[in-house]
Formats: sequence, structure tokens, C-alpha cells
Amino acid sequence: MSSAALHTTPSIGRRALQACGWAAVHLSSIIALLVAWEVFARSGAVTMFMLPPFSAVAERIWADAVNGTLWINIGLTLYRTFVGFVLACIIGIGLGIAMARTALARWFFDPIISVGFPMPKVAFLPVIILWFGVFDLSKITMVTVEAVFPIVTATVLGLQGVSHELIWSARNMGAKDRELLWQVMLPAAFPQIMTGIQVALPIALIVAVFTEMAMGGFGVGGDMMHASRFADSRGVFAGIVEIAVVGYCVVKGLAILRRRLLLWHQEAVAPSTV
Amino acid sequence: MPVTEHHQIVVEGVGHRYRPPTGREVLALENVSLAVRDREFLALLGPSGCGKSTLLYMIGGFLPLVTGRILIDGKPVNGPGPDRGVVFQNFALFPWKTVKTNVLYGLERTQLPKAEREARAQTFIDMVGLGGFEDSYPSQLSGGMKQRAAIARTLAFDPKILLMDEPFGALDAQTRGLMQAELLNIWRRTPKTVIFVTHDVQEAVFLAERVAVMSARPGRIKAVVDTAFDKTDPHVLKSKPFVDKVDELWGLVRDEAIKAQVSRAT
Amino acid sequence: MKAALIRYSPLAILAIAWQLIAQFELVSSTALPPLTQVATAWLDLLTSGELLTNAGLSLYRGGVGLLLSIVIGAPLGIAMAWWKPVDIALSPLVEAFYPMPKSALIPVTVIWLGFGDGSKILLVFLGCMLPVTIGAFNGARSSEQVLVWSARSMGASRLRMLWDVVLPSAMPDILNGIRTALALAFILMVTSELIVARGGLGNLIGYLGANGSYDAMYGAVLTVAFLGFAADRLYQMFMQRMLAWRQVGDA
Repeated sequence: MSSAALHTTPSIGRRALQACGWAAVHLSSIIALLVAWEVFARSGAVTMFMLPPFSAVAERIWADAVNGTLWINIGLTLYRTFVGFVLACIIGIGLGIAMARTALARWFFDPIISVGFPMPKVAFLPVIILWFGVFDLSKITMVTVEAVFPIVTATVLGLQGVSHELIWSARNMGAKDRELLWQVMLPAAFPQIMTGIQVALPIALIVAVFTEMAMGGFGVGGDMMHASRFADSRGVFAGIVEIAVVGYCVVKGLAILRRRLLLWHQEAVAPSTV
Repeated sequence: MPVTEHHQIVVEGVGHRYRPPTGREVLALENVSLAVRDREFLALLGPSGCGKSTLLYMIGGFLPLVTGRILIDGKPVNGPGPDRGVVFQNFALFPWKTVKTNVLYGLERTQLPKAEREARAQTFIDMVGLGGFEDSYPSQLSGGMKQRAAIARTLAFDPKILLMDEPFGALDAQTRGLMQAELLNIWRRTPKTVIFVTHDVQEAVFLAERVAVMSARPGRIKAVVDTAFDKTDPHVLKSKPFVDKVDELWGLVRDEAIKAQVSRAT
Repeated sequence: MKAALIRYSPLAILAIAWQLIAQFELVSSTALPPLTQVATAWLDLLTSGELLTNAGLSLYRGGVGLLLSIVIGAPLGIAMAWWKPVDIALSPLVEAFYPMPKSALIPVTVIWLGFGDGSKILLVFLGCMLPVTIGAFNGARSSEQVLVWSARSMGASRLRMLWDVVLPSAMPDILNGIRTALALAFILMVTSELIVARGGLGNLIGYLGANGSYDAMYGAVLTVAFLGFAADRLYQMFMQRMLAWRQVGDA
């Protein structure tokens, strides 16, 4: 019998070259965009206040990097994002498992989730501030509340979608309930759970920035609102560029993580989020 | 190879019904009775939807008994267990594990020491012809290879009984033919009781010593036909006894297949 | 009907729990006023007209922004799928802005258009463009090759095909994109009004909170939450109506 394995992985060098190729294509369009920005800003069609040239904005970002405020701000925002996000993962996956296994949990939480999903939950920020005060706890709580939803939904769907043949096969080999959950069902549901996580992290970032804008203080959001109040348009645009870069890195990082963790998965292409 | 007269598997008056998410309750099996001898190769043949897989899964302990009883070695079936190994049509390999760790999973609950488990896994991987692919993931394997891995995994924990649910149904015709011959080889080397579910008449006659024909839903055993003759002849598929047997069984199955078609359309 | 009651009864249980916890002061009554108190305060807001004026303002801003994003975003997405040069020019932009938190645009819109309606509409428009464009793009791209070819063979011009074949088969993706945009519109509307605004529900919430009228604040928050939920449900019904022809095919 001479059937050979289907895929042969291309050499590392070849793959690196392909990755560079892709990067070059994307990069060139971004560069074109930045050039267009610079030209348009300096053209006089709009004032330098309305649209500061990219070079001025870059200068500001550099200055902030040198004097350290850039890192403090990004660091704080990321700290709030990640703490809230990790909490959301723990709660979300835990709740998802409970809902997939017990009808009671399913009955109780299903309307909460399906009603809560389309709600602008950020409207509850004033309530959260009322409960937890004006510091990080409120920001993190808001992030967790928002990020939990896609994770719970993805976990429930993933667990419910595990093929019964897989489960029966494991039981055939003597697996007990607990082993079944951890050794079979969660790994089988992992691709879908990972998708939920990939949706939740950008949401966590958005909400973190928003809470900072609403509550002030340090962090990229707070910094931007501050700049806006002082009519510092360069500061505002600097914030936009910073967040865009951070957001992009975060999403890309997750996509790479997914590919690493799901090497075995048939759908080896990540869901199309950047 | 001696076949004892002791009936290892006894199915008596078994019925099964279920309620699909939409619609009325369905009677899947009605008063099914069957006796399987130790180390016999029995095929369950019938049209789609006749309940043959249902019967298999009840013997396997995955579906509850509604009426009747199923005895294995005199004891009633009480849930799934490693004495009855199942091979599924869609392989049921854990996609996140390699071939080797898949096979090892079934051995984890045996009391064997680690080194022995690894050696045993390797033996079976080699036996099914996948030597060299132990560290591949299922997504890297072809359909035939995946099924071989699934068979290796089931054989590794040494069940007395093999329950196979149309295991070659998802493979292309050529691979299927090759796998059938492989399976017979393996069975001759490590004799076990096999219940093999299929809707393919020729496959049933080629592989099995006896073929139980099931009627369309609600499933009943319509007839049990003897199909044990010398199959080591490479041209057996064209030999007169073989072709006659296939005709005989096709005659039994044809009406049921038509009935199954009609009931699906309504 | 009964099934719906059973399904949503946990919410009723939560409401009852709220009332009991607040009534027995298990939590400070400023942090969690009794539901009954919230209800009365809400009625006051309603009768005084405050709720309706602000709600109207918010819905107007969000609605106009959303409409603009659909009217401009959908054709843009289809154009990207249909004409390669447009795709090459615009898709890196789309990809670059996709992971960017849209709320980051709030300060910019304020700098450009101040505190009033204009900045909110612009924000919603910019933020909602993305899901609509991406939805339209995906939908147009995946319109069944077979349908396109058969229209071609019947002599349809490229433009005609766009209208007769691509648009209908892209509908599900476009409508889904709009659904995402709808939720996003609510979020952007609320967030921007909470932070910087003149009037609007978000602003009302902030003002009531700063004022210490927490029961009324709860009422306003629940109103916004409910509006978002209701909008999504209504839109879903509309979507099902629009896509009814798809269902008929499944026997």
C-alpha cells in the first residue's frame, strides 16, 4: 500500500520568503496611505489643525516614546485590556461548560446572554462606576462584562457541536465523565472557543479605551480625551495611530497563536480577521 | 480455525424507539433477535435507515434498551466498555492527537507499564501498515490511512468483540476494496468476533461468514444467510458460488431498499 | 407563548431578586435602588418629556449615521468585489482599520465638528462603514459562480448582472453586516454621548448620575439597553422577511 501522507510542509526558507512577500504588499499600501495623508494634509485643503500631517503626528509619537509617556499609556491600556480579557475567558469558558452540561445552567443563562448580546452594555458603565468607584476596578469590570459574551457563546456552541462519534469512541475506551470533558470535549471544541477568544480581545481593547475616555486619567483613551479638550489635534491623531497599531498587533498576535495551537486542525486557515 | 458453539452475543426481542427533534416518535427496531458465535464474522446488511447501526450501538452500549435484552457472555449489556471495540464510519480519531497518541489513548486505562503500552501501540500501527506515520496528525492522512489508524486504535486495547459501523463507507471505491482485503487479513491473524454493518451486498458476502439481512424500518431480522466459503482465492469475486450468493442476498435486500426509498420520500 | 414565558423567566427571577435585595437593603440603597423606585423615576422621565426628547435625539444621530454608512458602504463593498482595481486600492485600508477600536475616533470627531449632532453622526458613519463594506464585499465575492455564468450566457451586461444576480445573492452577507453595524451604531452613540455631548440618552445618563438621581439614571440605562435589544430583534424580523425566499428551498 503506497498511499503517502497528503501534505508536505514547505521549507522554512520558502515560507519566510512568502511571509515577506505578503508583508511587502500590505506595507506598500499602508505606506501609500501615509504618503497620501501627508500630501493631503500639507496641501492646504484643510487646516493643519483639522488634519495634522503624518510627519507631525509621528514626531509627537516619537517624543512621547522618548519621554516615556507613550509606554505608560499603552502599558496601562493593555493592562486593563488583558486583565479584563483573562477574567472574561475564565468566566466565559466556565459558564460555557456549565451551560453545555447542565440544563439548569442553560435555562437560567440563555435569556441573559441572548438578551444581553445586542445590548450596548457600555451603557451600564455609570452603574458600574456607582458600584465600584472611579478607578481601575470599574474599567476592568466593564471590559470583562463586554468580553464575556462572545466567549460564552462560542464555548457553548463548540461543546454542543462535538461529534457524538468522538464522545462514544472515548467512552468505548473507558473514559469517565470528567475525563470526557477535559480530554475530549474541550480539545474538540477548542477551534470554536479560540474563535470566540479572537472576537473577544479586540472588544476588550475597544472597551478599555472607551472607559478611559469616559473616566479620564492615564491610558491611551484618557490621553486622547485630554488632548481633545486642549484642542491638541496632534495628540488626538497620535492616539489614533497608537491604538491602530496596538489593535493590529493584538489581532495579528492572536492569529499567529491560533495557527500555532491549531496546527492539527483541518481548517488550518485562520478565520479572516486581518 | 475452530468456532465454538457458545453464543457470545445474544440479542432477544430487542426494540428501540426515539423521538427526533421535530415530528412523531419513530420505531427504529422491532423484535430483533440474533445470536452471534464466538469469533464469528457476521455482517448486518440492510437498506439505509433500517436500524442496523442502531442495533450495533445498542450492542455497544451507547443506546438504551427499550424492550428485550442483549447478553454478552451471559451478562446483560450495561453501557459501553473496552470489551466491545467500535470502529466508526467517520473514523472518530482525535484530530489534536497524533496517530500514536490516538492509539495510546485506548491503552491508558489498561494496567500495563508505559514501555509496554508504547510497544503495543507500535505493533498495531505497524500491523495496519502505518509504520512511519505514528507522528502524523489525522488531518495529514488520507481517508484509508485514517481508517487504518482507527482500526489500530481499536485493536490495541484488545476487545473481544469488534463492532464496525460501515467503516469503509467514507472511502473511495478503490481504497475500499483494498481495505476489505486488509481487514480479512487482520482478522485471520487476530481472530475476534466481528459485527460489521454495511449496505453493500458484495462487501457483506466477501467479508462475512454469515449475513443477517434486516428489513426496512422498523428493522427486523429478515433472514440469516450462510456465506462462509473459501475466500483466499484471489478471483473469488468472480467465482460462481460468490456471484450466486450476492444475487441471493440482493434479492432479499431489494424489496427492503425500495420500501426504504418510499418511506423517505413521504 | 408558553415556551417564550419559560425561556425568559430567568429574567423575571432576576428582576424579583433585584427588588428583594434592594428592599431589604442587602446592598446600599444608593447603589441599588429598588426596582419600584426606578420604575417611578422612569415614568417621571417619560411624562416630563425628557426621555423622549433625548431618545429622539440619540436615535436621530445614530440613525442618520447608520443610513449613511449603508448607502455609501454597501456599494463600496460591492465595487471592491466586482472591480479589481478598486479592491487593490481599498482593501489594505479596510484591513488596517478593521482592528482599530472605533471609539478611538471620538476625540477626532469632536475636534472636527464639536459637541453637537454632526460629530456623533460622523462617528457612527465612520464606525459602521466597516462592517457594512466588509459584509457587502464578502457577499458579492461569494455570489455563486454558476449563477453569474448562467446570467452571462443569457447575454446580461456586467452592470445588469450586478443588479440581477450579485446583489440578491449578496443580500444575506450585506444584511448581516448591517446587523453588526446596527449594534455598533448603538454602542458608538451611547459611548460618544456619555463622554462628550449636548443632549441625547448617553448624556442624560451621565447628567442624572452626576446629579445623584440614581434611580432615574438606572431607568435611562435600562431604556438604552432595551432599545438596543429591541432594535436588534426588530431587525432580525426584517431580515427574515427579506430572506424568506431562501427558506422556501429547504424541504
